[in-house]
Amino acid sequence: MNNHTELHIHPIERIWIIISFAMIGVFAIAVLTAGFAYGFQLPVPEDRVVDPNLVATPGATAFGEPGLRELSPGNMEARILAQTWSFSPKEITVPVGTKVTFFVTTKDVQHGFHLEGSNINFMVLPGQISKLSTTFNTPGTYNFYCHEYCGVGHQTMYGQVIVTP
Amino acid sequence: MTRWLLRGLYATLAVMVIGTLGFAILQPIKVLPRIGLGPGIVLVDQDGGSLTSDTLRGKIVLYSFGYSRCEAPCRGAQTVLQEVQRQLKAEGMAVPVQLVTISFDTVHDGPPVLRTMAAAAGADPALWAFATGEANRLKYAIGGGFEVYYGPNDADGFDYDPAMMLVDGWGILRAEYRTPTPKLETVLRDVRLLMEEAENSEGVARYAYEAAHLFLCYP
Repeated sequence: MNNHTELHIHPIERIWIIISFAMIGVFAIAVLTAGFAYGFQLPVPEDRVVDPNLVATPGATAFGEPGLRELSPGNMEARILAQTWSFSPKEITVPVGTKVTFFVTTKDVQHGFHLEGSNINFMVLPGQISKLSTTFNTPGTYNFYCHEYCGVGHQTMYGQVIVTP
Repeated sequence: MTRWLLRGLYATLAVMVIGTLGFAILQPIKVLPRIGLGPGIVLVDQDGGSLTSDTLRGKIVLYSFGYSRCEAPCRGAQTVLQEVQRQLKAEGMAVPVQLVTISFDTVHDGPPVLRTMAAAAGADPALWAFATGEANRLKYAIGGGFEVYYGPNDADGFDYDPAMMLVDGWGILRAEYRTPTPKLETVLRDVRLLMEEAENSEGVARYAYEAAHLFLCYP
């Protein structure tokens, strides 16, 4: 029984050991929860895979003619093609209250896509289509930009969503 | 005494953790994800009868879309549906399955045209219905509900993103095939998985199926 007392650990050190192991535990639980309960997984579903060499060819994929399409009144989808160093289209206009689903992919290197004032923020990888939806409830101009450094023209890579009243 | 209690507690915990991990890794039961609630649909079928998402409850429904003058983009789905119909009839269905092809050409494709489409496709009326509906409602159901784009084009036809949707007996969307060339094996596998689930997920087994959802035991 006395073996324990011979190994002296300072109380503060003991606390830090406990904290560091607790952190590992919390991270493990977070990863497992994200993976199993919420379904964050790679690779992406079959219908969100695209050939980056063909993606910009009109007719080959829906990104051949990027832009807005109306699914039903108040529900639109925006297909945005990223390339060094621009988005096409650079500007989209939607009426207030519209739910817009963004599909974004790139025909060259890795980019990012962040839309100010919304939950839309993802990486844009060649060969994959990133998808997220948001509803524009307030009229105004919302900027979107590339937030993954993609070369010397990175700072020119931005666009706007204009929400009209 | 306390030591044995503690050991028992650790053993129980270990069994729970190993069991959970084992279920998640080995995936003894496969299910299809619950993507979302399918839209409410009101249709008129090829005999002028009413076909709605409510009357289709309890059936596994495979929706496809097109119109009578549609060429290439609708062929892929039609070929797969013909084979699905043939195989389901051959092996019998434990749970009723309904194939529904919805025409979004509401002006041109009335019941007589739908009958011609059904005959051309070799559709068995007991299994495969051709239907259309009121333009505005269809737009909300297909565009808004299934998020499948279609719209008139300059050539007096429709632009359309080829897609098929699999809805289970509870009206929940379980699989989407957003491609002009759906894979027959995948579609048949998914229909069979839904049949198995509807047959087997009763009583205690229901919890095993819920666990399969929780651990994402997807094919």
